[in-house]
Amino acid sequence: MTGRTQDIVVATTLLVLSCMWIWFVTTTIRTGFGGGDIGPRAFPLMLGVVLAGLAVLLMVRCYLAGAESAEPSHDEDSPHFTVVPALVVLGEILLYGFLLQKVGFLLATTAIVLFIMLFSLRRRSLKMIMGVTLGVPIGAWLIFEKLLGIHLANGSLVNLG
Amino acid sequence: MDAFLQATSLAMTPIAIACIGLGTMVGLIFGSIPGLTFTVALALALPITFSLDAVPAIGLLLGTYIGGMTGGSVSSILLGIPGTPSAAATVLDGHPMTKRGDASIALGTAVIVSAFGGIFSLIVMVLLVDVVAALAIGFGPAEKFALVLFGLSTICGLCGGSLLKGLVSGVLGLMIMTIGLDSIDAVPRLTFGSINLLQGVNLLVALIGLFAVPFIIEAFSESKMSKAQSARVAKIRVELPPFKLLWRNFGLMLRCSALGTAIGAIPGTGGAIASFLAYDHAKRFSEKSESFGKGNIQGVIAPETANNAVTGGTMIPLLSLGIPGDPATAIVLAGLMIHGIVPGPAMFMNNAAEVYGIYLAIVVAYVWVLGLQLVGIRLFVHVLKIPRDILALIVMVLCAIGAWSIRNSVFDVYAMAVIGALAYVLVAVRIPLTPIILGMVLGPSLENEFRTGMMLSGGSLDIFLTSPTALVFFGLAALVIGLQLRSEFKAKRVSKQPVEVHDA
Repeated sequence: MTGRTQDIVVATTLLVLSCMWIWFVTTTIRTGFGGGDIGPRAFPLMLGVVLAGLAVLLMVRCYLAGAESAEPSHDEDSPHFTVVPALVVLGEILLYGFLLQKVGFLLATTAIVLFIMLFSLRRRSLKMIMGVTLGVPIGAWLIFEKLLGIHLANGSLVNLG
Repeated sequence: MDAFLQATSLAMTPIAIACIGLGTMVGLIFGSIPGLTFTVALALALPITFSLDAVPAIGLLLGTYIGGMTGGSVSSILLGIPGTPSAAATVLDGHPMTKRGDASIALGTAVIVSAFGGIFSLIVMVLLVDVVAALAIGFGPAEKFALVLFGLSTICGLCGGSLLKGLVSGVLGLMIMTIGLDSIDAVPRLTFGSINLLQGVNLLVALIGLFAVPFIIEAFSESKMSKAQSARVAKIRVELPPFKLLWRNFGLMLRCSALGTAIGAIPGTGGAIASFLAYDHAKRFSEKSESFGKGNIQGVIAPETANNAVTGGTMIPLLSLGIPGDPATAIVLAGLMIHGIVPGPAMFMNNAAEVYGIYLAIVVAYVWVLGLQLVGIRLFVHVLKIPRDILALIVMVLCAIGAWSIRNSVFDVYAMAVIGALAYVLVAVRIPLTPIILGMVLGPSLENEFRTGMMLSGGSLDIFLTSPTALVFFGLAALVIGLQLRSEFKAKRVSKQPVEVHDA
């Protein structure tokens, strides 16, 4: 995908997003009472309109630039975009959050660290897997819960700490 | 003189020095872990002070505050994840320096300039406390709105290659912060009936998501350590910044210290605004402005000097008027009052020894910060020797702890994940992340000050146009935008000029 095509996709997405935002804002937030009361709707509405305007400007700029800006969408400073690992990490953090709530910090962290070591990082050294899987949760628990007095997640089903 | 000697005898006792050191260390740890702020550390430290005398107690709190403000730079530089919102601007050049193998130079410079900024602001506080307090208290909603707008105008300098995309990013940041209960009328905005969304998106949770999750995704994408990473690890060396480097940037340090002190003295502003304004100032007036964002040491010096100068600045309204500038100084205020010290003009007469003791405690705290951080650099840089994927795994656990501990809510862990994934997409489509942070930091103040100003004026915009201070800030904002537009057009014209090709 060239930079131009990518920018058109981005501008279209932003335009749709801003239209949805404006619709939600106007239908769910009340206006001010007049006089000096600006009301809670004004700022979100104004921001939605500004975003829509910027999206249109971005689109116009892409069309005016034409083929001139057909540079590749990826530059050397930005990371290489990979959909699957991004979704996997998103899933892992969401799962970690779910487990924190259900089984508490120690069990949830042990489970998620073991899962990531085996399936995401594909580590095969037993020493490394056991060291990280036990070291990270216990070390964090000792430092945060015991030393610094920060309350870590307690599980609603099981709780070891 | 008697009061000063008495203060010395109070602040230089072994117990006072140890308390300040303990506070500094706790502050450094909390500041350097994303999500764990020094405000949390202060809240935890406050009960410990009950059994202490006034000066060691306040020293413990001030040490925690100062240590936390400085500690934020450690994770910003080493991992590219700001420990505190004040350290967000440090990421921009600090982390590229780490990637280049100059982590210890960046960390060393950050701690030295932090101490410089802090001591500078302390001197200003001692000498000009009445003058600065009188000026700062004159800032009403109109002036604060104009200042915040000026702060937002720095988006122009932080938007990388495209001003338009930078503005999109800034607006997205502003939009995110409008979600939740409206702070003036308490009306739910875009919460869709969710109780969790009533509190809105927490700034720290968003910061963790924006910086940490893309790092984790990248690290997990690499199945094993690449050759480039091996080379980077091999290049790690422990060295401190040369004196020449600091001397060369002495003028910048002075300017950013003055900026940070002034911003800190205005209640309700804070380190994040100061550090971004200082970064923009350094970039704008640098001879090598094109190297900013790629590891320019001035990009570390400016924000770190300014955000630590804020610590002294916030003490000015706190001590002279009893007005805390942020939640952290509100806890310090509580500590003062618990020990029978009531801030205000009378404090300088009734508790002169304690006031001088507080000044000395700040100096001692910076000595501790310097000592602990400069020794700690030798340990900190070894973090980079951990394989990148394992480091990312540890970062993920730390970030989850940080996000959870803010409100003891799993919702914040989910929010961190979703915001992080969106940030990854934004980076991939070349939308810069820094303006989002600026929008998120300044958004609530921008809206609240504008609406309060309009309420006070009964709906007339005159309140913004009749204040000379506000007009100065509006003018500065217009100047920044104008300069950026001019340089964009200039760059475009240069790129359109035909390139002459010589056969020779």
